[in-house]
Amino acid sequence: MLKMFIESFKNLISKPQTLKYPFEPSPEPKNYRGTIFYNEELCIFCDKCENICPPGAIKFEVIDIENGKKQYNYNPYLCIYCGACVDACPKSDEGCLSQSDKRTPALGREVVKNKKLGYFINKIDNPRDFEKEWEKLEKRAKLSREKLAEHKKQQRLKKKEQIKKSN
Amino acid sequence: MGKITIPFGSQHVALPEPVSFLFDTQNEIISDVHVNLGYVHRGIEKAAITKFDYTNLAFLLTRVCGLCSITHASGYIHGLEYLLNAEISKRAEYLRMLVIELDRMHSHLLANGHVAEVVGYENLFMQTFRYREKVMEILERLTGNRVQFDYYTIGGVRRDIDLEDAKEIKKELLELKPKLEKLTEFFETDYTFGLKTKNIGKITKEMALEYGVVGPIARASGVKTDARAEYEYLPYNEIGYKLQTRKDGDVLARNLVRQDEILNSLEMCLNILDNLPEGEIKVKTKGRPKGEVFVRVEAPRGECFYYLKGNGSKIFERVRIRVPTYANLPILKDLFIGEKYSDAQAIVLSFDPCMSCTAR
Repeated sequence: MLKMFIESFKNLISKPQTLKYPFEPSPEPKNYRGTIFYNEELCIFCDKCENICPPGAIKFEVIDIENGKKQYNYNPYLCIYCGACVDACPKSDEGCLSQSDKRTPALGREVVKNKKLGYFINKIDNPRDFEKEWEKLEKRAKLSREKLAEHKKQQRLKKKEQIKKSN
Repeated sequence: MGKITIPFGSQHVALPEPVSFLFDTQNEIISDVHVNLGYVHRGIEKAAITKFDYTNLAFLLTRVCGLCSITHASGYIHGLEYLLNAEISKRAEYLRMLVIELDRMHSHLLANGHVAEVVGYENLFMQTFRYREKVMEILERLTGNRVQFDYYTIGGVRRDIDLEDAKEIKKELLELKPKLEKLTEFFETDYTFGLKTKNIGKITKEMALEYGVVGPIARASGVKTDARAEYEYLPYNEIGYKLQTRKDGDVLARNLVRQDEILNSLEMCLNILDNLPEGEIKVKTKGRPKGEVFVRVEAPRGECFYYLKGNGSKIFERVRIRVPTYANLPILKDLFIGEKYSDAQAIVLSFDPCMSCTAR
């Protein structure tokens, strides 16, 4: 009991262990798992990151069905920052997908915009629309996938017919 | 005096987890208990067999519970690796053990701190949590996150440890060691803490065996049970693992078993950092899971049980989790009867209940 009393007395004099956070910076540690950054120029659109993402925070939307052109969309507020996408990316060594070591700011009055965060977040101005827009995007992405699959199927059929005709 | 019914939970200042007890009391002595569970049911077992592939299921199962997140990942991945016939490198095994033991340390420190808090010893609570924070900082440095480590992956671990980090972590652990020894002494010798914990909520060895309790609660009653010693899922015998038991079986004994385990875990972590083998941290695996497997791993709260059934497709047919708290709950009801209401909080928290595991 006396020992604990001495310890308590020491604690009275010693420095506080806590940080006064908003007034004092609380730096991220080394190797912190933060936001996912994307570089479109290096992407080969293999969809591996979309398939492995546990919460489904990465969605590729097909814009041009005939050419199969896709757009990368990322929701940093749905992301669990596990880094599975970076591990799955075949071009992560070159920097196609990378995990920053900084925290994502909370969804406040403004939406944080960055070219590296994909197309979705840069299109949104009002943070209140964020969830609704993401739901819409999920539906759109799913539809566009189905359309692309159908388009490919029809093209295959056309090719078969052409081969038959030529024969 | 007549019977008075007092609710304890589902939300209560002394309870960190949502569980509800209704105590029938007479003159502050508990005569009957009604327990309600399942406030945090999230349907994780269902999601595991419908929405998630075997490749990213570990991320879901990690989020079953915050405190033993690495245990759930280990239970699942050890089972999966058995089904895939994967052989893991020694270095990956050692790194896995390092994170598991650090996780055990911070979980036990939290449990002991909470007991000190509900007993009314705020100062000891603060002291405990201060040291816990250090362990969490080490874990953050190792894995990149404080709670959801996501360290396990199929065939190894996600991150390697470099020399500089190993040196720094070892230094921090060595600094922590005398402090934790001191903390154990406080728990063991403190008079006021002893008043509220000695001979309270006593479980005899026979009782523990009859109810099948697991983990530190069983070990505090003298039952020699520990999945780390009984099943060789990781090479614990190489790094100086020792089974910790106490005989008293009261709240204090449970706390002291946890304290002993913390010191043993710290010792093991230092051994791992000293004798870290060279080699790959991840091996590639082939194929899809087919067949059944039972896995038993030691969570901070006791033995965690996993049952996996795969049918050769991407998604598992069945994922069953039995968590240690589920095994420890039946004895609580008998334990309360005859105790004072004022001691109920200390008894519940000395069990270190984890409801988010239990309800899933």
